[in-house]
Amino acid sequence: MAELMLPDSRRCNYFFLYDGSKVRGEGDQTREGICYFYPEETPLDEQELLCGQLVGTARCVSELSSSPVRILRLRRNKFSIRVKDDFFWALGCSVEVPTISVCELLDQLINLFCFYTGSVRQSYQRNSKESLAARWAQYLSHLQSGSSELHHIFSCLRTIDSTNVDPLLLLKAALILQACQRCPLVLAGCILFRGRVVSTQMSPELTMKVMFHESETYTKPQRPSAPSTFSSFGGAVGSTAVFLTLSELQYVQSAPVDKAFSSHSTPHKSTASKKTRLSRTLSDTPSSSESEPSDPGSSQSAQKLYSPHLSDRSVLSPDPAAPRPLEPPLSNGTLSPEAEEEPQEESFYYSFHSNGDGGSRTHNEGEMPDPPPPRSAAFDLPEESPPIPMTLYLHRVKGLVLALLVEPHFLSDTASMEEVYHCSLASLNGLEAHLRSVSPGAPGAPGPYIFAHLDCIQSTLTSNLSGRPGGAPERPFVRATSLLHSHFCNTETLQEAIIRSAGAAVYGTRSVAQETYFQQHGGSLRNSGIPNHQDSAFSLPGKARHRLLKHGVNLL
Amino acid sequence: MKCLLISSESAEVLFHWTDPEFQQNVQEQYGASQEDGQGLPAFEDSISTLFAPIIISCSTMVDRLGDSYTSFTTENNHIYVLHQFDECLYIAVNGDGEEDEGDLRRKIYVMKKMIEVMFGMVTLSSSLLRKELRPQDTEQRARLWKHLQSLLETYSHLRENDQSFLVEAVERLIHPTLCEQCIEFLERRLVQQLNSSVERAGEEVLHAFILVHTKLLAFYSSRNASTLSTSDLLALIIMAQNMYPSNIDLDDSNPEDIDSTSGSGPESFYTPEPSPRDGDSSSSADMPVRGSTPVFEFVDPDVQMAEDSLHTLDVPPPDPSTPRRVFLEVSLKDGLYPMMPHSMYCLPLWPGITLVLLTKIPTSAVAMSVYTFLEAFAKLEKRLSEGMEGSAATRGQPTIHDVRNKLDKFIKALGPSEMKCTQLQHVWTEFKSRIARGGSGFNRDLIQSCKNMKTQLCGIYRQCFLIESGPADIPRRLSPGLQERAQTMVQDKLMDWKDFLLVKSKRNITMVSYLEDFPGLIHFICVDRSTGQMIAPSLNITERNTSELGKGPLAHFIKSKVWSLVSTTRRYLQKGYSTVTLRDGDFYFCYFLWFENETGYKLEAGDIPVLPDDSAPIGMLAWDYYRKLLRYYSKNHQGEVVKCYELLTVHLGVIPTEVILQHCRQLASKLWEPSRNPLL
Repeated sequence: MAELMLPDSRRCNYFFLYDGSKVRGEGDQTREGICYFYPEETPLDEQELLCGQLVGTARCVSELSSSPVRILRLRRNKFSIRVKDDFFWALGCSVEVPTISVCELLDQLINLFCFYTGSVRQSYQRNSKESLAARWAQYLSHLQSGSSELHHIFSCLRTIDSTNVDPLLLLKAALILQACQRCPLVLAGCILFRGRVVSTQMSPELTMKVMFHESETYTKPQRPSAPSTFSSFGGAVGSTAVFLTLSELQYVQSAPVDKAFSSHSTPHKSTASKKTRLSRTLSDTPSSSESEPSDPGSSQSAQKLYSPHLSDRSVLSPDPAAPRPLEPPLSNGTLSPEAEEEPQEESFYYSFHSNGDGGSRTHNEGEMPDPPPPRSAAFDLPEESPPIPMTLYLHRVKGLVLALLVEPHFLSDTASMEEVYHCSLASLNGLEAHLRSVSPGAPGAPGPYIFAHLDCIQSTLTSNLSGRPGGAPERPFVRATSLLHSHFCNTETLQEAIIRSAGAAVYGTRSVAQETYFQQHGGSLRNSGIPNHQDSAFSLPGKARHRLLKHGVNLL
Repeated sequence: MKCLLISSESAEVLFHWTDPEFQQNVQEQYGASQEDGQGLPAFEDSISTLFAPIIISCSTMVDRLGDSYTSFTTENNHIYVLHQFDECLYIAVNGDGEEDEGDLRRKIYVMKKMIEVMFGMVTLSSSLLRKELRPQDTEQRARLWKHLQSLLETYSHLRENDQSFLVEAVERLIHPTLCEQCIEFLERRLVQQLNSSVERAGEEVLHAFILVHTKLLAFYSSRNASTLSTSDLLALIIMAQNMYPSNIDLDDSNPEDIDSTSGSGPESFYTPEPSPRDGDSSSSADMPVRGSTPVFEFVDPDVQMAEDSLHTLDVPPPDPSTPRRVFLEVSLKDGLYPMMPHSMYCLPLWPGITLVLLTKIPTSAVAMSVYTFLEAFAKLEKRLSEGMEGSAATRGQPTIHDVRNKLDKFIKALGPSEMKCTQLQHVWTEFKSRIARGGSGFNRDLIQSCKNMKTQLCGIYRQCFLIESGPADIPRRLSPGLQERAQTMVQDKLMDWKDFLLVKSKRNITMVSYLEDFPGLIHFICVDRSTGQMIAPSLNITERNTSELGKGPLAHFIKSKVWSLVSTTRRYLQKGYSTVTLRDGDFYFCYFLWFENETGYKLEAGDIPVLPDDSAPIGMLAWDYYRKLLRYYSKNHQGEVVKCYELLTVHLGVIPTEVILQHCRQLASKLWEPSRNPLL
């Protein structure tokens, strides 16, 4: 598939990180400040030239405007710029790429680095330039790989094609994640299949970061520097240290996954959950967890389950009154059982922890905000506050990966690890077998229309374009979509637009939660361009409403 | 917070314009270290120092990476747009959100256009232009810059407030009978009389037009004149507006006010705008035909009389009897000659109403020769720098021998008295000796000689048309008496119409007349791009005036929507989209561009070229996009006259789309129907 994306294979033309603190004195050479430069084969003097000029110009402009530079545009390249302390990042793309996408790509890249490496300054104090350069290269190639041009324009997640997948499988994936979350050390998780999201409890940004590690371990399982694996689990389980920003952590913690299972601020409730966790795993309670949603005459909540990204949505819905269909029946609706069990659970809690890191409890308490502040939707730039170390736990079953964000001491807590491992193993095997058997759908037949539908909240894309080469017939659509997307981003009040060139008429519409683009094929577009209500271009909104219903896109 | 800077590659400031906020910002950054006493040099120094790193980096990028900066954006949304024309770097800055990147790029191109109109082919030689834009004499420099600054401000004001400068097309006053009468008057009476007078001193009136504010009442071109391009006409309107600004508040005063002050009331003649133009009177001296002689010294009894009869007041307008040298495009049978010298006479009839005369000057043939030679040397230089040598480099028209003969004659004709001419002769002799060896002389070494020749030719041109010195040259213009007679003739003709015209120019056509036929239509603009004319209901937004849009915030809101719609549709047009409809808030916007042949038959929509983001702005003032578009489109319609139209509409969003599209269709066909053609 990668070959098919040739026109876009090098989305980024230049990327560099420059450390101004290394070039202070008169005699210091620019090259000493260059931490990483892409393309790596660029001659050093050209690297120096570009770094020197861009950094100098950016500094001059920010002094004039008393504000950091965001974009430097040249005739052939446009650079997104980020400046943090003495660090200066620049990422250059061809001028055709929408500016907003260039900025997002750079932010993703920096965020990815901070997620796996922590604070940039500290990383460069602790590690060699070369080893970190290798990291930047990996992150960059990960962000440039695979996805279609539309994915790049929208900077969205790659998901499995939910139209080809039995909704029950998606439900199952969501249930696996919920089950894992019963361990108080598990914050949130996601399930990925062959580099695509099946189900996630994390924000799109966080999921995107987790996906990097998945793809790295999948493509290079024997990497020497690979994070530790655990022999006891047959090499299928691994982990790596990661760093969350404060807002990410708050977001993950404040997700309306049953608060009872969260350990940090509410020890009583979390211990209450312990028993539940130990007594129930997904695999041995199929009746209780599946009977309700699989009921065909389902209630509203059950219908919600069929949404492919259900667990994500429930995570994102901060409304406590919203139906929480995936909650184990036991805790559904009432908290009274927990209240009753409280004293008994408390003792269990301490015994549970005594076998691990005895001090972790207090340690956590000092670090975690208590009570967790309300979730903030804004994602700060990394390093606004010191990154908080966490651990990413990965359990791979062939093409399927369960990725969990866990407290660091989860790894030393053998019991918890075993519990999470065993509670999910059977389900993961089953899920993997099912997903593997799903045919990848019939990508070939180009339909009479093209569409792309972006869910802005979940950052997912539905399109009948994916999987096909970004070849000539789709170019006009992609081009129009990219223009319209930029326009929507810049003009809040814009609701819909039709734009027509000689070759194509494209309709775009958006609401707070979604953006949809539609182009009808065939039929002569030949016309005089003079206003004419019988013109086929103006029937696009009606056609889009009609046609897209079967793709689950409701424009009414 | 706005700024426009022109700089040489060595970071020498060739021109700058800043608004008070930007100036304050620069001064704050620079601290109070500068002496307060010398305002201009100190500010010029600080602005030069602040921008120097960017300017130097620009040339480094071009030299070493072959790429150049086009724009910067900061997190607080300050925008910098950069564009290099030859060796002059233009930088436009906005920090108050009032202009977007497109506006800034347009401003840069307009500035360049105005400089071309003022300096003509001298702009083709960077070294000469540098000297022209930055005179050694600081007083002269200050005067020139002030004039350019005021032109820029006039343009910006028009672009922000006048629909014809928004879409860059000329708006005519819709009054067919009066227009016709005036055109006839200009032709039969005025131009004829002027051109047959002995007092015209060899000049010949080619075009005459009457402006009511920015709108055209009548336009007449003499039979042997070439068409005046829309781009030039718009530039001339800016210059006229700059000389005699329409004071909106004054013009919008009650009709009674106008009555009371009309006629020969002394208060009415000229009220200078308070703040930005306070230097206008002195700026007039920068471009007189007689070089640096200040206009004020010119005391001519005729002028004195003219002023008396006009009751000119305490702040005298620029002396109207001194024409401005303008360089305009001339298209003749044998080709297009850009930047040919003309004289522009701007004769105020009443406040807001101006008569403009454009004359051909006796020596204009020199300019044509210079242009032909310049072109020949530029072509040769291009071929040489592409690596061609010998006969390959000299191919094409005119042949080098042609050029040689003609240039020899040309130099002889100029006569030895001209100082510059000896230099030209010197360089030309050197050039000839290089090519004397035949084909072998045409190699890369000749490039520098080509460059030298071009510079010399521009120098001759400068000497002939920008500085004319010596008392012998004084009569080279329509005599003040003749000008005054022209003024009086037109005043007599229009005396009864004057008040009507001033009101009409504010309400040329109004939405009221369309409301019944087009319910839900809020506004529209229709442009005929083949003739560069537009028509739109008036959008007057002043405190005292209530338009159909109401007054105050709503009218302002709709105006801002119209303005942003134009810039949005231009962005789509730049990317090849000729139809755009947008549902935005409570409104529905439509934009259509289409082609017709002469008989009104709608032609098939064709491919529209996709241009890069930093391409020249779409419009007709600084760079005629539509002329290029028509040429491009006409390739597939050989032998047919192709016309290009644009329609923009604003509707209420609740109106069904089908109805909106029907409205658009009706508007499109109705507005240009011969029977209802309001432009006649």
